[in-house]
Amino acid sequence: MSEAAPDRIHVSLCSDPRYLPLVRALAQQGAELAGFGDEARDTLLLAVSEAVSNVIRHAYRDRHDQPVDIDLRARPGWVQVEVVDRGRFVDPSQIQSRPLDEIRPGGLGVHLMRATMDSVEYRKNDFGGTTLTLVKRAAPPALA
Amino acid sequence: MKINRTSQGTAAIFTVEGQVDMHTSPDLRTQLRAALQEKATPVVVDLTAVAFIDSSGLATLIEALQATNKYGGRLRLCGLSTSVQNLFRLSNLTSIFDIRATSADALK
Repeated sequence: MSEAAPDRIHVSLCSDPRYLPLVRALAQQGAELAGFGDEARDTLLLAVSEAVSNVIRHAYRDRHDQPVDIDLRARPGWVQVEVVDRGRFVDPSQIQSRPLDEIRPGGLGVHLMRATMDSVEYRKNDFGGTTLTLVKRAAPPALA
Repeated sequence: MKINRTSQGTAAIFTVEGQVDMHTSPDLRTQLRAALQEKATPVVVDLTAVAFIDSSGLATLIEALQATNKYGGRLRLCGLSTSVQNLFRLSNLTSIFDIRATSADALK
């Protein structure tokens, strides 16, 4: 039997940091659809919020009137989120996370995404911007 | 996000409520800087009512920690939820900050 199609939610918004709570509400919805526990839910909210913050900061250089598209797909135990911008393509090598033993502000967002998601992939999209795809899977249940 | 500041002797206590992200962290930074200019110590940031904090919030706290260290003051955090504790652990910051259970502990 083929797997059921995932639930899908698409949201378009402006690159305004005021909308970050809305972005996290979307991630929260995805986590609920996937049946995630607290930790998987919290890390998904964090990673999606960091992803959109990076779009605002790096792709749009803090312009707040630019388009951001978020496409979320969820099925039990699995969520995929695509964040699509039309700004400056951000070479992933330029936003590598900093070494954690170097205590300074900044550079943590990419580290947090990579540390908490099962997959983090950047690619240049047809708009000349970046499509970032995050995948989170629920942790397998602990063995009795 | 709401921030309430109180003072107790040389201490400055910031009670933060809500979500600390790229939009709201500049306000936290501004208010902390005022206490840092006064060389308050300890500077206590009570995160009991903080439901979410992102890397910009962490960056704000790291800046404040570095600034207090420069004048020989102390920055203490308290009231971290499980979710916020996990964020500090993931960021390798647990051993960098002085983290207490409550604001009363942070003022001792």
